[in-house]
Amino acid sequence: MSSTLLYEFIIPLLKVAVVAIYPMLMVIVMIWLERRVVAWIQSRIGPNRVGFQGVLQPFADAIKLFFKENIMQCGADRFIFNVAPVIVLWSALLAFTFVPLGGTMQIGTYNLNFWVAESPVGLLLILGISAISVFGIIFGGWASNSKYPLLGGLRSVVQILSYEIPTGLAVLSVVFFSESMNMIDIVKKQQEMGVWFAFILPVSLIIFWISAVAETNRCPFDLPEGESELVAGFHTEYSGLKFGYFFMAEYAHMVLLSSVVVVLFFGGWLPPFPNVRFLSFLHKVPGFIWYFVKIMFFLYFYIWIRGTFPRYRFDELIKLAWKWLVPLSLLNVMLIALIKVL
Amino acid sequence: MVAKFLKKILLIDLLIGLWVTLKYTFKPKVTFQYPERAKPTRRRFRGILRLYRNEQGQPLCIACKMCQRACPENCFDIEGAKDADNKMRPTRFNWILERCTFCGLCVEACPTGAIRFSHEFRLSTLDRRNLSFAMDQMYYDFDLQEHLQGELVNP
Repeated sequence: MSSTLLYEFIIPLLKVAVVAIYPMLMVIVMIWLERRVVAWIQSRIGPNRVGFQGVLQPFADAIKLFFKENIMQCGADRFIFNVAPVIVLWSALLAFTFVPLGGTMQIGTYNLNFWVAESPVGLLLILGISAISVFGIIFGGWASNSKYPLLGGLRSVVQILSYEIPTGLAVLSVVFFSESMNMIDIVKKQQEMGVWFAFILPVSLIIFWISAVAETNRCPFDLPEGESELVAGFHTEYSGLKFGYFFMAEYAHMVLLSSVVVVLFFGGWLPPFPNVRFLSFLHKVPGFIWYFVKIMFFLYFYIWIRGTFPRYRFDELIKLAWKWLVPLSLLNVMLIALIKVL
Repeated sequence: MVAKFLKKILLIDLLIGLWVTLKYTFKPKVTFQYPERAKPTRRRFRGILRLYRNEQGQPLCIACKMCQRACPENCFDIEGAKDADNKMRPTRFNWILERCTFCGLCVEACPTGAIRFSHEFRLSTLDRRNLSFAMDQMYYDFDLQEHLQGELVNP
């Protein structure tokens, strides 16, 4: 009886708690890492005073945000204004339910799965749920009753909807190979084939990654919040913890898309070359550590890109999506379908 | 044409850019961590004005008031008298940092090189009364920080 309670209730509940808290912890890591790495790229040192090498800087920022005044400007749509940051953060966190954070670990007789939910259409659910954040952004932009947030929100919608298409097509080419939309099956298929999909589908990887950067509104595609044009974009009028929600949601989305890239193209929790017997000692390292190392690389890559490239102009951004990425991904899908049929 | 297309499609320029920033990530940084380590000042740096002594420790100032006359901002209030060796010495040398524009006219005017710019640039204080200096506070070996940060009130 008690074991049933443990396995059926307590462990799933703990898993949910971990999956809800883990993106938040990553946000803390990412804020520090981003500020330090961008500083290094710019030949500066970055925050290094609060705590060891400045690791407590995000906490200092959070405490400051917590005690900030909550400004509600007149003419704002109060309900939508308040609900927008919640939608954005919620969509980012909810999608983590379908992301496998590691393989199955055997503890005694119990098989501990490092994912909360397994769905035959997990991949579609992740893409769909994370796309809901557009609503939060446009709500926030519109409800602010201010012109810069509105422009930022509109830009964001156009951008995210445009880049959904190449994302979907890139994902489709992966699904051709994995023959499943279940995130766990995709990883298992890579183990079966003995090779990460990144090596079979490099074009899909590049298309997906560019679209992922665009969908998270990150530099060089950070048009919706371009500081030099739109003050801060859709969250210009937000202050205090509501702004903090948007901020956390942006980083949580980065973690989410890094996880998706890792699962789709880099074998999730698998070590490199999973089937080479010579390298089988790599399986001794728990899966979630491999997963973590991989997503840290991609999160670093986000920051690296931000420190390197200048911002696109908006027409160039849309041109890149519709004139390059969409035809390229269509061609890619057709070629892969052809290869698959033959 | 083909080369250009290949360069574009293989994202060569982007990779070069990434390589440049990767190199800069690990280069030594140019930041001086200020309170611990200050950037050394240049030879002709214009810090706060200080009075100097000669090698024997005698004050160089002869109370000729050239600096007082040269000063466009009226920073100085100098009075002199002959001492036991029949030499002119300042008996009063009040100077107000608040008014000083660091123009250097007093330094140029000084016939003995008594008043010169030091290399001290940390001149902030919480009380503007600390910005006026009496004679013994004008010498280069005076502890300026204690004066500026302390609760000292000048006569």
